[in-house]
Amino acid sequence: MNRKPWAQSSATFKVQLALVSTIPVAIGALFVILGGFDFSIGLIGVFLPIQVIVVGVFGWLKAKKRGLGDALLIFFTTFFSTLVLVLLLSVLGSVIFEGFKALSPHFIYENNRYVGTTTSLEYGGVGHAILGTILIVLLTTVAAVPLGIAMAVYLTQSQSKMRGVVRTVTQSLAGLPSVVAGLFILAVMQFTHLERSGLTGALALFPLMLPTVARVAEESLRLVPADLRMAALALGAPNYKAFFQVILPAAKSGIVTALLLGLARIVGETAPLILTTNMNNTTNLNPFSGPMASLPTYVYNFLGSSYSSSQQRAWGAALVLLIFVGILFGTARILGRKKSLKTSKKAK
Amino acid sequence: MMNSTTASASTLSTEDISVWFGERQVLQDINLVFPANQVTALIGPSGCGKSTFLRTLNRMHELIPSAGLAGRVLLDGQDIYEPSVDAVDVRIKVGMVFQKPNPFPTMSIRENILSGLKLSGRKITDADDLVETSLRRASIWNEVKDRLGDQALSLSGGQQQRLCIARSLAMNPEVLLMDEPCSALDPGSTRRIEETIQELSASMTIVIVTHNMQQAQRVSDQTAFFLADENTPGVVVEFGRTEDLFNTPIDPRTNDYVNGHFG
Repeated sequence: MNRKPWAQSSATFKVQLALVSTIPVAIGALFVILGGFDFSIGLIGVFLPIQVIVVGVFGWLKAKKRGLGDALLIFFTTFFSTLVLVLLLSVLGSVIFEGFKALSPHFIYENNRYVGTTTSLEYGGVGHAILGTILIVLLTTVAAVPLGIAMAVYLTQSQSKMRGVVRTVTQSLAGLPSVVAGLFILAVMQFTHLERSGLTGALALFPLMLPTVARVAEESLRLVPADLRMAALALGAPNYKAFFQVILPAAKSGIVTALLLGLARIVGETAPLILTTNMNNTTNLNPFSGPMASLPTYVYNFLGSSYSSSQQRAWGAALVLLIFVGILFGTARILGRKKSLKTSKKAK
Repeated sequence: MMNSTTASASTLSTEDISVWFGERQVLQDINLVFPANQVTALIGPSGCGKSTFLRTLNRMHELIPSAGLAGRVLLDGQDIYEPSVDAVDVRIKVGMVFQKPNPFPTMSIRENILSGLKLSGRKITDADDLVETSLRRASIWNEVKDRLGDQALSLSGGQQQRLCIARSLAMNPEVLLMDEPCSALDPGSTRRIEETIQELSASMTIVIVTHNMQQAQRVSDQTAFFLADENTPGVVVEFGRTEDLFNTPIDPRTNDYVNGHFG
């Protein structure tokens, strides 16, 4: 039985739709295959203009000017989102395709101690870089997330006149080029005679993560209705309890998003790490002493090599980084899910 | 059912309460007495300061940054604005139900009832009994008794409002302030809340802001009529027994308002 009477269409409409969606593609394909046109010229120069005209005519026939606008809007949004999706998927695809060749169990857990530029992929791996990335990111997160949330709390809950200043500084910090953050820490290191370590790397990532966390957390706290705070205070809650037991839980999923976006901001950062902790071919588990490897710097170091086995390693490391981020995001999403209270059966 | 949780009601009164937001005065010299176990209705056109006045009675008013106040609010003879009095203690004794239902969305029905005690840092003895008693007093127990673990937002608007009333009742207040508690509800839910108010007045003092003349007549023992002329602060035009105020109003403006001639 048809329960969507508004979705019915006439036979003429169906034929028109079929023609609209096939003719321009066919013409474009003819030009490329038979006419020897370049693919991109076939797409942009032949297919696109014909498709726009055909879609326009189709819309006009359906409902004059109103139909023309609708049809063009639908076409352009679909076309460009597909285009972007294809681009993103091809980046992802090439990392997976190239990286997969390097992937093997020992690639995950071994380090690079005995690996040279031409060493076969049967030896060595990114284990040390994975551990390094985890340690450095963890150090940054431990410092930046509580501070970022604290800033968000200040910006949303306080009545102070300093809020404007704090917000402006945070926002301009968000535009800081990451290499400058690295240079700043490098300068501090020169000045204080601090040697390269995981800690200096984490320090360089800190100003990059902080504003992201603060801004996103601020947005999510701002979305909590003022009613809830009032309700809590009217029940005799002191401010801190109203915040921790009512406002913060209500903003939980937004806070998790803040954490995720903060992580996404730093986990792939390369320049600051090259400057402040650089590369290490062996496993270093002490973030307070000695250079520390990380996945992005690993990719950077090996991708520059002219030897194919080194390049393969770089692709492999990039894939591992992608998987790492995927796991991180998946876990955080599960943790941040709204507490699912049991839904009882309807009892009579 | 209403064992130890039944509090003694208190008498609340105000002496020359004036209220400002920034430089703008919105209320002038309000003198009202809310005797124990009586229901008082505050009526008047929108923007005359009824809700603002209500919020001065449990020190919620001061949470607005530009707020100002003069005068005294006496709870059983004690001025709640004296420096030695903690606002939190006042709010525990003087409960409040808001215009829009505002249950805590991250908590279950049961947790919402217990939230007041938790938030104000008081011990919970026999939580089950308290949850049941509070929900019964707000006449919502039968509808939710099998789903106490469900999220509070799964309830309908009317149920949410009665849940919020139950949440306030769990605190065992001496005075209950209600700011247009039925304005967003259907007639059925409104009727049940009105019945609840009648039952509650046996154990507490109630002040209710309402725009509904019939409601004021149905639930209240006494009524205060607020009015603010353009660009002047709100004042109480008339205050007396509900019956008298509606049937034989002294001030012609009261007569016009209760008979629907303006406002």
